[in-house]
Amino acid sequence: MVKRLTTIMIGVMSSILITFFVNSATAEEIRSMKLWAREQAAGPAPHTAALIIAQTLTELGLDISVNAVPWPQMADQVWYKRADPESSWDLTMWQMVSRPERSDPDEFTYNLFHSSTAEKGYNFIGYVDPAYDSLAEEQRRTMDPAARKVLIDQAQQHLHDTAANAYLVHPLLNFAYDNTQFKDGSAIEQAGLGIKNIWTYLNIEPINGNQDIVAQSLDEIQAINPFFISGGTDSWITEIVWDRLLRIAPDGTAQPWAAESFNWVNEQTIDVTLRSGMSWHDGQPVTSEDVIFSFEAPMDAEIVPMYSPFVKNIESMEDLGNNTVRFNLKSANAAFLTSSLAKLNLVPKHHYGPMLEALKGTGNNAETLIEEKRIGSGPFKFVDWRLREQVILEANSNHFNPPKVKRWIMKEVPNVEASLGMFRKGEVNFLTDYKGDPTVLANIVADDGDITLVKSIDVGFQYMAMNQRRAPFDDVNFRRALSLAIDRDVMVNAAWNGNAVKAGSHVSPALSYYHKQGISEFETGVDLAKKILSDAGYTLKGGRLHYPEGVSEKY
Amino acid sequence: MFDFWSILRRFAYMLFVMWVVATIIFFMFRLMPGSPLTAFIGTTFTDEQHDLLVQRFGLDKSLFEQYSLFLVNTLKGDFGLSFTYNKPVIDMIIEALPNSIILTLFSLLIAYIFGIIAGAYLAWKRATLIEGISIPIVLATRSAPEFWLGMIALALFSFQLDIFPSGGTSAPGVIYASTLDKLLSIDFYHHLILPSLVLALYLQGLPLLLMRSNMLEVMQEDFITMSKMKGLSSWRIVIYHAARNALLPVATAFTLGVGFAFGGNVVIETVFSWPGLGRLLVFAVSASDYPLAQGAFIFLTGILILMNFLADLMYLFLDPRVSYKTAN
Repeated sequence: MVKRLTTIMIGVMSSILITFFVNSATAEEIRSMKLWAREQAAGPAPHTAALIIAQTLTELGLDISVNAVPWPQMADQVWYKRADPESSWDLTMWQMVSRPERSDPDEFTYNLFHSSTAEKGYNFIGYVDPAYDSLAEEQRRTMDPAARKVLIDQAQQHLHDTAANAYLVHPLLNFAYDNTQFKDGSAIEQAGLGIKNIWTYLNIEPINGNQDIVAQSLDEIQAINPFFISGGTDSWITEIVWDRLLRIAPDGTAQPWAAESFNWVNEQTIDVTLRSGMSWHDGQPVTSEDVIFSFEAPMDAEIVPMYSPFVKNIESMEDLGNNTVRFNLKSANAAFLTSSLAKLNLVPKHHYGPMLEALKGTGNNAETLIEEKRIGSGPFKFVDWRLREQVILEANSNHFNPPKVKRWIMKEVPNVEASLGMFRKGEVNFLTDYKGDPTVLANIVADDGDITLVKSIDVGFQYMAMNQRRAPFDDVNFRRALSLAIDRDVMVNAAWNGNAVKAGSHVSPALSYYHKQGISEFETGVDLAKKILSDAGYTLKGGRLHYPEGVSEKY
Repeated sequence: MFDFWSILRRFAYMLFVMWVVATIIFFMFRLMPGSPLTAFIGTTFTDEQHDLLVQRFGLDKSLFEQYSLFLVNTLKGDFGLSFTYNKPVIDMIIEALPNSIILTLFSLLIAYIFGIIAGAYLAWKRATLIEGISIPIVLATRSAPEFWLGMIALALFSFQLDIFPSGGTSAPGVIYASTLDKLLSIDFYHHLILPSLVLALYLQGLPLLLMRSNMLEVMQEDFITMSKMKGLSSWRIVIYHAARNALLPVATAFTLGVGFAFGGNVVIETVFSWPGLGRLLVFAVSASDYPLAQGAFIFLTGILILMNFLADLMYLFLDPRVSYKTAN
């Protein structure tokens, strides 16, 4: 009897022990991983953030090293090798910058997370979630702003709950102007963009004998071409030399500009009435024929490739007479006003028509157009461009909303310190492209006394992305743990030196209407992350985090 | 004095070197990590746009095909269109060239004239206190980073004292009818002074030390002792006899320096916002703009090889000891 009991006991004990050993034998160690980032000099704040994050994640039992490389290499790895099992990436720092068209949340909501852009488009993280897809598609179709807000709030919450990205901060944009050359307070802030925008250029008042805006840029200007989206700096110029039917107003909504009014006939039909009395820089009148030409030209993706996605939704256009053009859309799109009507440049058919015709069949496209005249209808006229030195634009006094300054000049200054020195000296009177330490700028403002500095919340954001095609990032618990381990206050204060606000979603607080209240406030901490991990079955052995039983990585 | 065949052989070597360099440049850029397409990545970058770009850049062809096209086009003088600017590469190089050449030639002239005179003087002042102080100063200017020298000069002469402008080739808002007009304007030279002085400060170390060491050697020669014995004045000895002989290596260095002048100087160009070829080159490489980078590098190589060749020829005239006659 005792012998039998003993045998049973030994049997049970052995099974328990064997199970224990077998289980621990199947728990795989999570591999060492690299966190990609740009070099310190190229982006000090995100670089510091990467170092802090790597340290934080090490406390969870992960082996993370920061791999700092120039942007082209980083982009090449993250973008083109996204699905390559051997050499793909695990974690990367990334950012979205401010652009006027991003005032509508559609661009980020759809292009960044919809499954259709996962393979080759901007959804390089590989986020595939059918529930999210329907949300993204529905918000695009919903024309009523209140109903749309509900959907966009849901989208933000869903992305937060599934930890699609680890959002870090919305940086603060720093722009400054010389208030001995411009009337203090005459600059206008645009939601998410700061004071560097067309409303400031039109409204800022020159004083004390000054007549011009002299801005600066750190980057090269590649092209001044209404058919080419060639870079952030280039767009500052194309935006003011060429008009659009609508423009993004300071509050972030699309308002009539070259159009006098617009009217949604139904969800897929919109009538736009052109303002009368407008003329091109060469004196010719702006007509509905020009409007139709401006939207038709990009439909030929071979000739105008960059703008063709923005006219894809247009089925046809009709000239209804009386300066009114009817747009028939293929499908309802709430962002049509922002992504098309406020984006496409209005170009004169009599000037660009023959040029585009001549390109057909040559193998070249409209981006190779280099011309002397550059004719638009905008509040500024093109005057001169000395390559890699400066661009000079002149006020268009015939415009319906002419600027108060006489000229808009932009100097290319590739050196941050030199641009700061020029600004203090007064050679440059509007600091439009400052990428240095904001603390230095703040000190200069305090010292000099004749500079007005305006800080604004960026519509863009900085984040850490995870490649969800690879274990362990395909596990939502793992992603949540990583994201919640990062203390966002430390990000704002230690990495961005206070020059940012916490981010919890892709919709910035600068877009006050669509930003979900409270989404940027959430509990963080290594302890919280550890709890999430252990609840999900992850274990720590020898200081290293291991997968739950039965889960293995193939890399 | 001239041996026709050996000069011809030298010319053939030049072509061979050009070909090797062109090939290395071609493969180097394509094997480097990074792709010219990364510059176009954006939220609305579609597959169609990507494929169109690949086609336009010729990246859909095999490497060998691309290489053959590249060689043929280069021989025709067609460097293609820049990926980022969509302008002909030749036009971009020619536009940037005058700025670079004038900046560096100016600096070279200042540096060499100063360096030669100072070098000869310091050789004469051998084993004195002046030499003891000057040589470390010269070495310091040579070792100091140009960026730092430039920023100090900018901060002092431009921001503090406001004697010179702080960058670019002209004041904001100035328009010139043509490049020639720009090169003839006073404003241009006012903007040129500070960058070229900084560059000259850096460059003068070489001719100065080279001249000085050559002079010291030459001064040991028998014919100098002979001149002293003949009773010639020190002035005549130093200038007419010693310096002329010591100048030969300096002349070679100058010719090569002119070759490098075409490439501009990316550090000075960045500090002083000078729109030269150096900045353009660095930009082309970092953006993986193959046609621009290739075109610019091949152009520079060609110039350098040419200047090297000219330097060789120059020796024939300057130094009767050198001859291209083959030994019998």
